[in-house]
Amino acid sequence: MTEDLDKLYKDMAQCIIEGESEVAIELAKKSIEIGLHPLDTITKGFVVGVNYIGDQFGAGEAFLPELVMAGEAMKAAVAVLEPELLKLGEAREMMGKVVLATVEGDIHEIGKTLVGTMLSASGFEVTDLGVDQPADKIIGKALEIDAQIIGMSALLTTTMVRQREVIEELDKEGLRPRIKVMVGGAPITRDWATKIKADGYSEDAVGAVKLAKELVGKADQ
Amino acid sequence: MPYLKFLSDEEVKAMHDATMKVMSEVGIIWTHQPSLDILLGAGCTMNGNRVCMPEDLIMDSVAKANKRPEIRGRNGTVNKIGSGELFFHNLGGARDVFDARTGTHHAATHEDCVNATRVLDALPNCNNVTPFFTPPDVENEMMALYMYRHTLSHTTKPVQGPGIQFGHEVKYAVEMAAVIGIQPHELTLSLSPVSPLTMHDVAAQAIMDMANAGVIHANLPAPTGGATSPMTITGSLVQQSAESLAPLVLAQIMNPGCGVIYCGRLGLLEPRTGLIWGGVELGISSAATVQLGHYYGFSVNVYGFSTNAHTLDAQNAFERGLNASLPALAGADELSGIGEMEAGVMGSFAQMVLDNELAKSVHRQRQGLSADAEHLAVEVINTVMNTNRNYLASKHTLKHLRAGEMALTKLAERNSWDTWEDKMSRKQMADYATDEAERILHEHVVEPLEPQQEAELDKIMAAAEKETVKVKKK
Repeated sequence: MTEDLDKLYKDMAQCIIEGESEVAIELAKKSIEIGLHPLDTITKGFVVGVNYIGDQFGAGEAFLPELVMAGEAMKAAVAVLEPELLKLGEAREMMGKVVLATVEGDIHEIGKTLVGTMLSASGFEVTDLGVDQPADKIIGKALEIDAQIIGMSALLTTTMVRQREVIEELDKEGLRPRIKVMVGGAPITRDWATKIKADGYSEDAVGAVKLAKELVGKADQ
Repeated sequence: MPYLKFLSDEEVKAMHDATMKVMSEVGIIWTHQPSLDILLGAGCTMNGNRVCMPEDLIMDSVAKANKRPEIRGRNGTVNKIGSGELFFHNLGGARDVFDARTGTHHAATHEDCVNATRVLDALPNCNNVTPFFTPPDVENEMMALYMYRHTLSHTTKPVQGPGIQFGHEVKYAVEMAAVIGIQPHELTLSLSPVSPLTMHDVAAQAIMDMANAGVIHANLPAPTGGATSPMTITGSLVQQSAESLAPLVLAQIMNPGCGVIYCGRLGLLEPRTGLIWGGVELGISSAATVQLGHYYGFSVNVYGFSTNAHTLDAQNAFERGLNASLPALAGADELSGIGEMEAGVMGSFAQMVLDNELAKSVHRQRQGLSADAEHLAVEVINTVMNTNRNYLASKHTLKHLRAGEMALTKLAERNSWDTWEDKMSRKQMADYATDEAERILHEHVVEPLEPQQEAELDKIMAAAEKETVKVKKK
């Protein structure tokens, strides 16, 4: 039985690594049928795959499409398991709440969406506001859901200045350090993040997850 | 010379057919009602929130477009894009400056914007100048106009208009062009539809404003293969072509005969970093874009000099060389990228000088070879063999050396090791380019605009700024 269980967990990790959403759904359903606790399924099975692919990506061995598909497979598995957790009167312990948006005047979203997928797959509760979002909407949503982190993306050199506006607004309202800010996007650099006093920046989605964990004080998880 | 073909005629036709299928069946996300009214009135249909364009309408629009637009500089130079000549222009919209002297980089300043334009003005192989840098302290809504305004003062060459985002920018760009005597039909403006296949409301409105103004449409779809378009290059080119043709259809319905340059800015996703740009696939994509654009009879503008490199290194040279050569040999009418570094977010004055030199070699490749009697030189061979058996003293040699049989470079190091070490202090091509850029900045004088023209430009900018405040409030 233990061997079977080990194999099942390994299969779960493997289907995430291979980005097989349908297999992930099947295995999640199977875990419910055989009475596994959904939290065990997530932490001992599927999350292992997410962590593996993240490490591989960080080492330059895995590609972005693999990362995206792994994230999607993870989301599909969690979607099956979450109702079971609710039935048990439990909830997956989340890493934290994040509001994501592309700043006002900018309508690009691929990178931001990828960050959202990876954050979700890693246990964050993500509210993605989409593109072209003004400062007041981003901050309003963060307050509404009591988010710990605002993540802002900008693809254009002409729109990255909007990231600073959001941070200035947060400072004006005295909402920092309660709300941390992380920034990203093709033109964003470490210097820029420092200059606008962001709490951090990352060049890619895997780094964004690491940063978000640090910002909520869970770097070791 | 016969142009390089990456695709057979049948394959190009298949790409056209696929493009028509995408445009007529899949459609383009389009929600801007005033422009939709025009499109639906012309026979387009809706598929959810996507507008589908029938092939007849698309090809009718292609037929109506002026495919050989002329752009003019205040020095009187007229560059007819699509005349068979290969034109070069610089990268537009870079954030940072690479200082080749110190190996450092910094965010572009107003002074860098001015200096970049002055260097480009001095380089003979940069035919058209595009506003280069985006200084960080300028508002997004004013950036394109700001860049255009300060380019006009510092070059007399044709200025290829900025990449715009909003309709209100069209009016002010046209007004500023008029200050230096450029008519709307001589002014190019570029708008980028969002990939995949999306025309946002502001973009659709800008296309309408461009059509009403009668400017040349040089729209710049910039899909990223593997992220915002298919991983396969031909699939991405099909989508890119649909993104290029869709705004053109609207423009030609509104203003039949307005000028068009068919542009492509396809790059593939670097799957380990999420960045795009420099690999040889860029050159292949650009070359195939040229083939597809020429299928419709358009003049074609694609990426040329392109690299991901951060310095003037080996990667830089091989990437930009390949990426410029391939589309040039495929018959590109205009290549972009002079001065570009780091996937287009950085530029350098020394790089501009290097690209000016490289452009000369690309022109030489494009010039090809001749096999007429004069070039086959049988008579010359006979004469030399009957005399001193030495071509150095032959008039034929000097004649063809002067006629451009060789692209003679001043920057490439072509001495012996000893000379290089003893006399040239081991300097390399990039060192010479750095020196030359500094010399240009020190010595080159651009004929200034009249004071009243400068005042007029400032007045237009002030009016634009006022309107921008209104746009932001909306």
